Amino acid sequence: MKKKLLSLLLVVAMTGALVAGCGSSGSGSTDDKDDSSSAAGETKAVEDLIIGEIQYSVVEDGGWGQAMHEGMLQACENLGIDTSTNLLTMEEISEEDTALVESTVEELVDNGADIIFGCSAGYSTILAEMQEEYPDVVFAQQSNDVYENIIEFQIRGYEGEFLAGYMCALMNEGSNELGFCASMDEASVRTALNSFALGAKYANPDATVQVLWADSWYDLDIESQNAKTLIDNGIKYMGMEASSPAVPQTCEENGAYCVGYNIDMKDSAPGAVMTSFMWNWVPIFEDIMTKTADGTIDISADYYEGGDCAKLADFNEDLVPEDIQAKVNELKEKISSGEVVVYSGELKDDQGNVLVEEGETMSDEDILAQDFFVDNVIGGKK
Amino acid sequence: MSVMNRKFRFEKRDRQSVLRVVITSLIFTALAFVFCGIVIAAVGFNPLEVYGKMLTKVFLSKKGIEKMIAASLPLMFCGLGVALTFKMNLNNIGAEGQYAIGVIAGGAFVLFGPEIEGPFGILIVALLSFAGGAFWALLCAIPKALWDVNESITTLMLNYIALIILSYLCLGPWKMEGQNVGQTERIPKGLELSDLGNTGISVGLIWGILIAVLIFLAYKYTTDGYQLSVIRYSPSAAKYAGINMKKNILLAMGLSGGLAGLAGFVQYAGVSHRIMEGMPNNAGYTAIVIAYLSRLNPLVVVVVSILFAGLQNSSATVQVMGVPTQIATMIQGTVMLFVIAGDFFQRYKLIVNKEVDA
Repeated sequence: MKKKLLSLLLVVAMTGALVAGCGSSGSGSTDDKDDSSSAAGETKAVEDLIIGEIQYSVVEDGGWGQAMHEGMLQACENLGIDTSTNLLTMEEISEEDTALVESTVEELVDNGADIIFGCSAGYSTILAEMQEEYPDVVFAQQSNDVYENIIEFQIRGYEGEFLAGYMCALMNEGSNELGFCASMDEASVRTALNSFALGAKYANPDATVQVLWADSWYDLDIESQNAKTLIDNGIKYMGMEASSPAVPQTCEENGAYCVGYNIDMKDSAPGAVMTSFMWNWVPIFEDIMTKTADGTIDISADYYEGGDCAKLADFNEDLVPEDIQAKVNELKEKISSGEVVVYSGELKDDQGNVLVEEGETMSDEDILAQDFFVDNVIGGKK
Repeated sequence: MSVMNRKFRFEKRDRQSVLRVVITSLIFTALAFVFCGIVIAAVGFNPLEVYGKMLTKVFLSKKGIEKMIAASLPLMFCGLGVALTFKMNLNNIGAEGQYAIGVIAGGAFVLFGPEIEGPFGILIVALLSFAGGAFWALLCAIPKALWDVNESITTLMLNYIALIILSYLCLGPWKMEGQNVGQTERIPKGLELSDLGNTGISVGLIWGILIAVLIFLAYKYTTDGYQLSVIRYSPSAAKYAGINMKKNILLAMGLSGGLAGLAGFVQYAGVSHRIMEGMPNNAGYTAIVIAYLSRLNPLVVVVVSILFAGLQNSSATVQVMGVPTQIATMIQGTVMLFVIAGDFFQRYKLIVNKEVDA
């Protein structure tokens, strides 16, 4: 009985200490909010900027995170920002863990961050709320334009995927069937798939794209199984929207070819990766950093960039013949000049509904929030 | 000729005093930090500086404590639930899924139910979350009670199903306008759990402490509570004594699932203010460790989950110093392992005896 009492007392004492801890330190500081000056208008030498980067995985994930981080390093280097001291990279900050994301932002602010980059779309709601608490900090978030108080940036990835589909269809001589390994059924993934299919159709009106889903953002086994299934069904060329090198490696083992995704995947399967769709964030990051430094930043800005931001990696010379390389480059020019518009009419979905009338083009909002599959996609979810 | 032989052997302790449990746990936690200190030093940082910063920023600063408690709430509720089933040797591995279904049941009301706000509305949402979690747990408890179907497997399997349903809703029909990520709109202000006074600490903490105290008292003073521990130590004795096993299985699992559902409630009503894809975020699994580290004592669960959440949050603090994120994760894992290893020394004592061989 005595022991039980002792245990109770101990617990009470420990909780008591905790509560007391809250109470006493609570009266300490009332900071932050009284400073009404906002981020815009202050100037600073660009190389003195302190940059916070929040990543949901590790930066060497071989995919999305790495593309973003390499863009960050490149942008800093171009502007003369010392990444060893002025770039604070926070890895493995789960988007679902609100308390951790908030702690992370506070740590970055405490360490003098001038800009905080949210490198995955799931942070936007939290960052938009934190901006009100820290108006002196510029928050930039990879997402579509939703909030007025944070910068949002996106890349027109569909331009690069369109080129990838076009190239695969050109390579796929004598067959109309292409494959695609997709991760989750989500708007950005559908965008990659649809634009790949549209590119294929641009090269060959009869081309179809069979898609298989991993239903996971990262799953080596399922991605590899999906690629194998496509190959077993006679598909030789495929696109992908996945973060791991599983698809390229499976292709290499089975004599098929693919276009890598996120970063240049040639090194993980030199015998299978013809080129890779790459996110090139450098121009966007540079612009945000320079404008923050000279005080001209507009915190409600929205970046939605194509062209060099959505590029293909250097072609694998051993796999892609020169005439096809030339055709792909030619199409790239046509997209940049506006001669070819990826989402233009007449465009039908896989149920036969007309999405875009002949002679019209799709709005950016509809491109970003794709909830359809274009008519030559086989295996789209409903 | 005689040889002096030193012989070591372990002898089971008849009883473990509370003081010993506390002291051994503290010693082994300290050892864990020493071990991690060596690794931190090997990576090129001063361990004392890293620990000092963790202590001052995460465990002793106002903001640190607020965030630590916010992060601890789901762990606390899941931990309380899981500990309850472990108490009668039922392995509820399904807190993760029960959490998700609790979120869905409560979230459906928050997003689409009649507009009832204020304390009454909050109570309804909490009850629905509880009911959702309890329902999901009973899906496993009923087969267990009737046909002795292994609950470790069924609860674990149902986690995946629950998470996929949650993910479907958040990416599909419940998704916030204009967003591509799996999150809903912010829940109505009137349904949010308020903070304690002018701190940033959610009232959920008080709920957690109250529930822990209630469970503690129930173990001590009610027959049901007593029966749970009898079942733990000897199911056959319990049967012989006429304890209704079926009823106890349903009761423990139902309550446990309900508490996991409440974990979802405190998270979206008190911390995240919206429902998100993948929301349980492994709290249901971490809860198993927390229950074990707390030796199933509900009051200790409260303290351990707060400290553990602090360790998780310290990941941000150490990374700003340049220490790799893996170190922060390693500290969490090491503390767990060391405390569990220390458990051995609580159950057994080391005897060194000198024997003279003839």
